[in-house]
Amino acid sequence: MHPIFRLVNRNLTISLNMGFVIWQVIFPVIYIFVAGFAYTSLIHSVPFGSKNLNYPAFIASGMIGFNIMNSTLISGIIIWNDRRHGMFEQILVGPFTRAQYILSNVYTIGIIGLVSAGLITAIGYPLFFKSIEFNALTIPLVVFASITGAILFGSIASIISTRLKSSEGFNVVINTVFLFFAFVSTAFYPAEGAPPILAIAFYLNPLTYLVDVVRAGIFDNFTQTVGYEMIVLITGAVTLFIIATKLLSRLEI
Amino acid sequence: MLCIEAKSLSRSYGNVIAVDSIDLSVEQGKIFGFLGPNGAGKTTTMKLLTTLVSPSSGTITILGIDTSRYPLAVRKKIGVVLQQPSYEPTLTVEKSLEEYGMMWDVDPKTRKDRVEELLSTFDLQDIRKKKNDDISIGQRRRVQVAREFMHDMDLLFLDEPTAGLDPSARRGLLDYIKGKVQNGLTIFFTTHILEEAEYLCDKIAIINRGKIIAIDTPDELKNKFGREKTIKIRIGNVKDISSVLQGVGNYEVGYDEGTIITIHSADSEQVLVKILQALQSNNIPVEDLSVVPTSLEEIFLTVVKNSNASNISSGK
Repeated sequence: MHPIFRLVNRNLTISLNMGFVIWQVIFPVIYIFVAGFAYTSLIHSVPFGSKNLNYPAFIASGMIGFNIMNSTLISGIIIWNDRRHGMFEQILVGPFTRAQYILSNVYTIGIIGLVSAGLITAIGYPLFFKSIEFNALTIPLVVFASITGAILFGSIASIISTRLKSSEGFNVVINTVFLFFAFVSTAFYPAEGAPPILAIAFYLNPLTYLVDVVRAGIFDNFTQTVGYEMIVLITGAVTLFIIATKLLSRLEI
Repeated sequence: MLCIEAKSLSRSYGNVIAVDSIDLSVEQGKIFGFLGPNGAGKTTTMKLLTTLVSPSSGTITILGIDTSRYPLAVRKKIGVVLQQPSYEPTLTVEKSLEEYGMMWDVDPKTRKDRVEELLSTFDLQDIRKKKNDDISIGQRRRVQVAREFMHDMDLLFLDEPTAGLDPSARRGLLDYIKGKVQNGLTIFFTTHILEEAEYLCDKIAIINRGKIIAIDTPDELKNKFGREKTIKIRIGNVKDISSVLQGVGNYEVGYDEGTIITIHSADSEQVLVKILQALQSNNIPVEDLSVVPTSLEEIFLTVVKNSNASNISSGK
């Protein structure tokens, strides 16, 4: 087996425990089915392109992006744990290069991101099946968002994990950053109608672009704006990945 | 054949010289002990040899391969047990051995057999289903060392492998290592426990302040640096032994179920003869006489002390 796949196998084995699966499934399910229906009495419909979506369908599609982002936390956690528990050095004195270690993390978050997206799509499907409009771009857009989103957020988590030394600091920073990403985005509510400063903040957040691309795929709303958002996602993912790779390559042993 | 060959190897961190132009050669199928006080440069040397850090200058050849040109090729042929703990907290002991074998591309059948063998050899059967996070530091160390034997290798680096192990586990590990060497494995071994080095190593290097200050077999080191022998003479209770031994010099007197005269000097044989003559002429019988062999620990302390003294006198 190629060294990268052996490392991916290892990453998945050490990461996929019951706690992680619960985190990945229960958390979005609560949002989709509890918050989704609870807010229906307040939010009757959400304008989206030429359509009006009901709130459960809106939040269920938002949860796909939210879950991709959450799942990529695993990248930072793997690097953090490897450094903390001595496995980073142990792997680097083994039959692997740093580049293979970095790429294995990218593949791992890509796989977890795709599986997460598929899982939430399946869970949320009953809620948005009435509004869904399958077309030639549906799957490519969701896959694109899953992979670029996974690399982008995985790189952010990796950067944080290389910069911080204490576990308390790592937890505080990563939770704060990802909390901002989660709630200052269009995953839970539309930008339209939000106070102008907040609406601007939504568009400083990569999760907004990720969620917009996913929704464009599911609800057949591919526009020029969505095209620009895809460019922003790719640019962000590539830039952050290069930074994360450089930081990981320079990590002192 | 030389397994390790390092020439003029140096490594600096800013202005600090961690390893200062050392030369090393380790023959295949031997156990090479690398000793030194804390901060002497042992771990940095280990990191250089295992390609974890690059040398500031000098060359390293491991198993005939240049480490700076082909580090990955070197790493594929070696095993390393680092000084710091390394473990997968979420995996059980059994699974972590299995997973490590997978990482080294060991085939599943061999992996399964080796897991069983190592669990048994390293006395890990009772904790095989426990997670690494839930076992003691000593047990974790045993797992870390056992894990390295999941894969084949030609050269094994052990950085204080017995740290945290109880005496029985320590002896078990040392005997297991000896057995592996008989099968052709070469071992580069660092330790603070000098009895271990004496028990295990074919050759020993002592490093201090980044420089190798002594290198030879344990016996030769004792011959070179162990001139001071300790001789103990037990006699009955004699009240004024110092007047009996007046003029002999270079001895100490202690009292423990009789009088014990201890000679500790480079010319201990000559002092012994003088003391025995004095005792005989005063009709004092000798009850017991013993020679304490020079231990590696004494050699180590002497060599390091001399090295520190010469550094101070030269103003380093």
